[in-house]
Amino acid sequence: MKQIVVHQEKCTACRECEMACSFEHENAFVPALSRIRVQDFYDEQFYLPMVCVHCADAPCATVCPTVAITREPSGQIQVHDDRCIGCKMCLLACPFGVMGFSPDKGVAHNCDFCEGDPQCVKFCVPQALTYEEVDTNATARQKFAAAIAKGAMLPQ
Amino acid sequence: MKGKYVLIGNSAASLAAIDWIRKHDREGSILLLNREKGVAYSRVALPYYVSGERTLDSLMIRRQPDYARLGVKLVEKADVAEIDPKGHAVALADGRSIQYEKLLIGTGSETVVPPIQGLADVPHHYLWTLEDSIGLKKATERAKRALIIGGGFIGMLAAEALRKLKTKLTIVEMAEQLMPQLLDAEGGKIFARAVAGANVDLRLGSQVESVAKKGKAITVRLKGGGAIETDVLVVAAGVRPNLQCVKNGAVKTKLGVVVDDKLRTSAPDVYAAGDVAEVRDFVDGAPAVHAIWPTAVDEGRVAGANMAGGEIAYPGSLGMNVVALFGITLAELGRFQEIKGDSVDVSGSSDSSHYRKVVIDSKGTIVGAMFLGEENGVAEMGVIHHAIKRRESWKPFVAQGIRPTASYAAMFARVNPALPRTKPAP
Repeated sequence: MKQIVVHQEKCTACRECEMACSFEHENAFVPALSRIRVQDFYDEQFYLPMVCVHCADAPCATVCPTVAITREPSGQIQVHDDRCIGCKMCLLACPFGVMGFSPDKGVAHNCDFCEGDPQCVKFCVPQALTYEEVDTNATARQKFAAAIAKGAMLPQ
Repeated sequence: MKGKYVLIGNSAASLAAIDWIRKHDREGSILLLNREKGVAYSRVALPYYVSGERTLDSLMIRRQPDYARLGVKLVEKADVAEIDPKGHAVALADGRSIQYEKLLIGTGSETVVPPIQGLADVPHHYLWTLEDSIGLKKATERAKRALIIGGGFIGMLAAEALRKLKTKLTIVEMAEQLMPQLLDAEGGKIFARAVAGANVDLRLGSQVESVAKKGKAITVRLKGGGAIETDVLVVAAGVRPNLQCVKNGAVKTKLGVVVDDKLRTSAPDVYAAGDVAEVRDFVDGAPAVHAIWPTAVDEGRVAGANMAGGEIAYPGSLGMNVVALFGITLAELGRFQEIKGDSVDVSGSSDSSHYRKVVIDSKGTIVGAMFLGEENGVAEMGVIHHAIKRRESWKPFVAQGIRPTASYAAMFARVNPALPRTKPAP
C-alpha cells in the first residue's frame, strides 16, 4: 500500500507538516490537532515525525467498542465518524500516540492520507516525508528495528 | 442441537473468540447463544443512544451477514440455565439442550440490585442492556428531574447522557468520592467540583434508605434523614460477573469463573472470557475481574485460539479505562492507586485542565497511571500503556518526557514498512 514514508535523518523539526495537517483537516493552524507529530530530542538533535502507520494488527481497531475503526480495502485504517462515540479508547490503545482527537467533531482521527494527496508531504521542505508504495520486506524491517533497539539511533 | 464450538453470550468476548477460532478452524460449526434478541450491540455506546447522539441502528456492531460469513449460527433468546461438563451439554431455560465439543462462557456481567426498601414497587431504570436503555430513553423524554443511585462508572455515564437532555440531576453516592474505579482521591475532588459546577445536586457519602411512589413523583429517602423528589429513578449500584449458568458448581468460581492462563476453567473443554472470567492481574498477578471491553476482546481472542487447538498464554489483564464526562476526559491504567513501596510522579495542577499521575513500583517499573484533563492527553497515556505492558522503567521518561524511547522507536520501525529505507544516524 501507499504510505507516508519517514526519512528521519532529513527531519529538521520545522513542524511545517503539523501546520499543513491541521489546516487541511481542521481549518486552523493548531499543531495539537495535527495527525502527524514531530517527536523532538533537542539535546541529541534527533527528530522523529510520528504518524499513523496503519498497523497490521491495529490495537485501535481491536479495542474500538463500536467498530468505528476498520481496515479499508486499500489497507488504510480508517475512523468512521458516524460510528465513533468519542470514548478515546483508541487513543489509550495506540502505542505511538498517533491517534488524535477532534474536540469540535467529538471523534477520533488518524492519518487519512488527505484522500491521496498528503499535505504534510507537500509542505515538507527538507523532504523528510514522502508518499509512496512501500517495501514490506519483513527481514529488512527487523534488521532496522534491531539497530534502533541497540541504541544506534536513540540515546538512552 | 449441537455445535463443535458453543459460545454463551453475544458481546466482546464471544465475538473476538469467533474471529480467532476461524483463524485456526474454518470449518467447525459455531453456535452462539444469545440471551437477548437480535444481533450484537455495543454496550459502551448505550449512553450515547439515551442522550440522542446515536441512533439505535448505529449501536449494532454485527449484522446478520457478518454471522453468516463466519459460519456462525446465532441462537436468540437462548437463556442458559445450566452447564453439564460431563455430558458436554448446556441446558436452556426453555428446555432445549445443546451439545458442545468446546464451550466458552462469555456471559458478561449483571447489574447489582441494591437492598433499598420499596425498590421493587417503584419504576426504576438500569443502564446495562439495550432494553434498559430504550426504557430509560422513553422515561426521560417526559421527565424534568432524575435521580441516580451510584456515582460510579455507569452512574456517571447515565448522568452525562441525561445532562445532555437537560434533565435536572441528583446523584447519590455511598462513598466520599465519585468514580473510585477510575480516579484517586485528588482526581475525585477535581472531578466532583466540575460535576457540582454543572448544576448537579451531588450527595457524596449518602445512602438511599427507601423509595416510594406518590402520584407521578418518586420520593427517595436518605439514611440519616432528608428526602428528594424525582421523576425518573436510575439505579447504578455496580455490576458483577453473571454466574447464573454455573450456579450448579459445574466450574470453579470465586470472584468470577476461575480460569488459568490459557483461559480454561476447572472443567475440561470449558473456557471463559470477558467480564465473567477471573483472570490474573497483569501488574501484580492477583486474581482479578476487569469488566472492561479491551480485556474482553483480548481474553476472547486467546480463548478462541485455544479452543481451536492453539496454545496461547494470556499475559494477564491490565485495567484500563477512559471516558469523557462533564467536559473532562478521565483515563486510568493498571495500578493507579499507589500501594506501600510505590512512588508517584505527579504533574499538572489541581484544576480540571491537566492532572496526571504515574505510579512506579519499588523496582522503578511503571505499573499504573491516571489522567484527568483535555482530550489529547490520552494519546500520552497510550504510550504509557505500552510501557506498562513491556514493564519498562520510568527513568527514560523522566529524562525525555513521554516520547519515543528506544523500544518505542523499535516498535515503530517494526510496523512501519517504510523505515528500513532510511539509514540509522551515526
